[in-house]
Amino acid sequence: MNDELQLINAAKAGSADAFADLVKLYRVRLLRFLLTRCSSFADAEDVLQDTMIAAYRYLHSYDPRWRFSTWLYRIAIRNAQKVRSENVVEFSDLSDAESDPLLHCIAQSETENLWVSARRVLNDDVFAATWLRYAEDMSISDISKALDRSDSWTKVNLLRARKTLDTEMNRKSTGSKAYG
Amino acid sequence: MDKLAKQLKADAALIDVQVSDELDRRITASLQGVIPEKPELPAKQPRPAAFWWASSLTGVAAALVVIAIINAQSQPGKDPVVQVAETSPVPEVITPIIDWKTESAMLTRPLQQELEDLQSDLKKAEEKVKRNIGL
Repeated sequence: MNDELQLINAAKAGSADAFADLVKLYRVRLLRFLLTRCSSFADAEDVLQDTMIAAYRYLHSYDPRWRFSTWLYRIAIRNAQKVRSENVVEFSDLSDAESDPLLHCIAQSETENLWVSARRVLNDDVFAATWLRYAEDMSISDISKALDRSDSWTKVNLLRARKTLDTEMNRKSTGSKAYG
Repeated sequence: MDKLAKQLKADAALIDVQVSDELDRRITASLQGVIPEKPELPAKQPRPAAFWWASSLTGVAAALVVIAIINAQSQPGKDPVVQVAETSPVPEVITPIIDWKTESAMLTRPLQQELEDLQSDLKKAEEKVKRNIGL
């Protein structure tokens, strides 16, 4: 965390190299998240690049009371929304590994990945909240900040998402036992 | 951590993503071309009219308070004791007595006439002195 703070301070002083080192800590995680929100791998990469540029440009506005990852995710979510609104593609249209970047990154044997189901049954913001909670271990308040929502919204929707995903997980395990 | 949370964590890790060298180069190159923005300094706002009114009233109030304090401190009927600075003793100047051998003029006529008489006396005395010294 201290290294991160040093890199942030160096980047704030104008060091692009320090910022490049800083974002190396997050770019894979961010790209993985963006794959769940973009309709193509190229879009996800573009959003990642735009996120890095915006973060570097507006680094002076970063408030150290936030976790740096929270701030980065907030920018990434906004950028992904912009790209999504420009390319109107529904995830339900992406049914195979060729067209769906998320399926493309999951091994054939892992197509029962719960995140694929989550993306189908949860809306965008609830999916993002669930991802930030369970894949990124973010706190409720950090998730609320990243999504620009209230803490109560986050708590309620995480609870609903859990119920939905529990049902989905049980359905899958029952189905695989029945067929298998 | 419950079963669902474990499953979600494990499934997230199964999404195999790598940042390609090309993307890495793209990001690095674009970062080099970006100039970070500087924090904007807040613009100086002109002070509202109420500020000037408030400061004027504050000044007047302060002056009134000072006057009231000074008046309260001075007690009527008692003259303030003024401290006089001690002076160093000045040595008395002794004036030597000079015998001028003069006579006081008795003015019995108008001043103009007296002046003319005195001038005539002065002239006579001058001639007498010249005669005495042989000029």
